[in-house]
Amino acid sequence: MATLTHYIVLSSILFGLGAIGFCTRRNALILFMSIELMLNAVNLMLVAFSNFRADMAGQVMVLFIFAVAAAEVAVGLAILIGLFRHVREVDITKFNVLKW
Amino acid sequence: MFIRGIGGIDMDLYFWIFAAIAVIAGLFTIAARDALPSAMGLLTVFISLASLYLHLHAPLLAIFQVAIYAGAILVLIVFVIMLLMTPGERFATIQANVSYRIFGAILGLCLIGLMAVGTKGVSDIMAMKGIFEGFGNPSIFGDLFFHDFLLHFEVVSVLLLVAMIGGIYLCKKKL
Repeated sequence: MATLTHYIVLSSILFGLGAIGFCTRRNALILFMSIELMLNAVNLMLVAFSNFRADMAGQVMVLFIFAVAAAEVAVGLAILIGLFRHVREVDITKFNVLKW
Repeated sequence: MFIRGIGGIDMDLYFWIFAAIAVIAGLFTIAARDALPSAMGLLTVFISLASLYLHLHAPLLAIFQVAIYAGAILVLIVFVIMLLMTPGERFATIQANVSYRIFGAILGLCLIGLMAVGTKGVSDIMAMKGIFEGFGNPSIFGDLFFHDFLLHFEVVSVLLLVAMIGGIYLCKKKL
């Protein structure tokens, strides 16, 4: 029987994978996808708690996270394209103009 | 107490299958060498999480997960990946070899079949202890969304407008 604990563990694993990906990869696009993975892990946690506590507010919050994720991707990818015009590279170690 | 044995498939097995798919696809997402295979891994994570939402009495969110995440956000990411690739790289990624294609087709069909099982499970669900009648119903969801969370809804609409204007501004030729 899948209990709340199962969902918490699964969601933590997915969040951890996203965090590891964000810290170890250098391709800016894969960093974006790692952030999406972390947001999805949080969504799963919210839906699981909403189900096991019989409170639908959690599901509504997931919808707000969808909107924030959409906004984040729209602005982030626009910044990335702007950076790419200057550097011609998606490797984040090449974005070192502001580095001290 | 919990949903078991709906549609001939144990719902516990349903959880384990999709949890395994999500973790393996998540690993693939962060470990893939190129961005495009990584995006395909992320797509698999999104679909398997949508299937788990069906299991968790959230059919509307499962639809939104597929429509917004897999349909809008991931398409935007793939569009940018293709935009930033050189033409030679683009051609190489499209030319997947035959065994990959067959594997992908089988995986896709299995996912569709399992999601169909999940949808059936939601439609003739047995009441869980502590869950009221019609939990996860889109009408209750809409009532909560446009009544209790109306202010949040308006704030989010402003956020999306700001993001849209920011995206257009940042993509101008001369910044």
